[in-house]
Amino acid sequence: MAKLETISGKYVYIEVHGIEYRVYFEENGKGIPLICQHTAGSDGRQWRHLLNDSEITSLYRVIAPDLPYHGKSLPPESIEWWKEEYKLTKSFFIDFHVNLSRSLGLQKPVYMGCSMGGHLAPDLALERPNEFRAVIGVEASLGVTHPAELQWHHHPRIGNDFRAHAMSGMMAPHSLEKYRRETMWEYSQSGPPVFKGDLYYYFIEHNLTDSAWKIDTSCIPVYLLTGEYDPATSPEDTRKLAEQIKGSKFNEMKGLGHFGMSENFGAFKKYLMPILKEIAGS
Amino acid sequence: MTIRFLDPIEVEGTRTSINNDPEFRLAAKFFSKDILLVFGESQSIVRVRDGKVEEILLNPAPLDPWSFYVKASTESWEKFLRPQPPPFYNGLFPAMMRQTFEVGGDLESAFAHFWAVTRILDIIREIQNK
Repeated sequence: MAKLETISGKYVYIEVHGIEYRVYFEENGKGIPLICQHTAGSDGRQWRHLLNDSEITSLYRVIAPDLPYHGKSLPPESIEWWKEEYKLTKSFFIDFHVNLSRSLGLQKPVYMGCSMGGHLAPDLALERPNEFRAVIGVEASLGVTHPAELQWHHHPRIGNDFRAHAMSGMMAPHSLEKYRRETMWEYSQSGPPVFKGDLYYYFIEHNLTDSAWKIDTSCIPVYLLTGEYDPATSPEDTRKLAEQIKGSKFNEMKGLGHFGMSENFGAFKKYLMPILKEIAGS
Repeated sequence: MTIRFLDPIEVEGTRTSINNDPEFRLAAKFFSKDILLVFGESQSIVRVRDGKVEEILLNPAPLDPWSFYVKASTESWEKFLRPQPPPFYNGLFPAMMRQTFEVGGDLESAFAHFWAVTRILDIIREIQNK
């Protein structure tokens, strides 16, 4: 008897800004749709532990897409993408998620994302509050204020080892080495320009400094989780975001870094599960 | 705090530990550079040639050549070298992001060989806590 997981993978065709993308996603479970967005320069494999968690999949239909250009979602066929610099923009990222949800026929899914995906949670709450039941921002902030040395992330003489080993220090020393290394492995596998291009949204386009206060949590609940060991978005950074969003709920995750769901899912789940139960019960 | 890496008695053992480390040997392929490590007022140069640490030079002369440097205060190194470092001191990248550690000089080489550099620092931490 084969040892099989119950996760299934599919492709869906989604149009964003007039271009069709063939998008890979994995899913498991039944119930409220829960979309899980990966971090910059990685892919949906980061959510494999959550996708396999029966307590969560008994309440939620968990859906983890690979953003176009990431993982198994190839660049589009209809444009000469190799003649343009890859850059993830806020408008693309927002419209991608709205169109993914509509294409799959989801009824007000919960959105959860980490890092750049975490930043997107409050952006969706601000700009598309009626599309989602709630948003969960993991490692989200108003905007990143420390220097962005983006040029080193796509350089002909610097290999993908750099990305992987830079990310090593973004995880907590408490997390098991095998899962830290798996997270790094995923980071070493994106297309050469993808991490830098994603960071365009993360460092430059995402900025809620003057607008986070407009988010209405009576319309869309906002939950925020940030790891104690995240140097990119520290708990203090997220606290500033939470202070601007009246009614948002923030929790610092002790002993976790930037990649809770993949570096130490057991510890991450302790913080996530009460949120998922609260959303399911509301 | 005494940094064992800077103790002349420890130098040869440190060099051997780095060169015998299986991960460093993989990470250091094509690596031939000189790393200046600055611990507050103290300095050393780790000379790597063809993937092996050829020499660790303590208290180098001002004009001794180096390719890139890793620099921090002794207080920052003390946190970095703990067996379980506090947030943002658990790796070179987070320490750089939070500007408690500085990497300078030939940054292209530092980042091209980042895996090997971070492995050297991990081994220095392991030796510190033996």
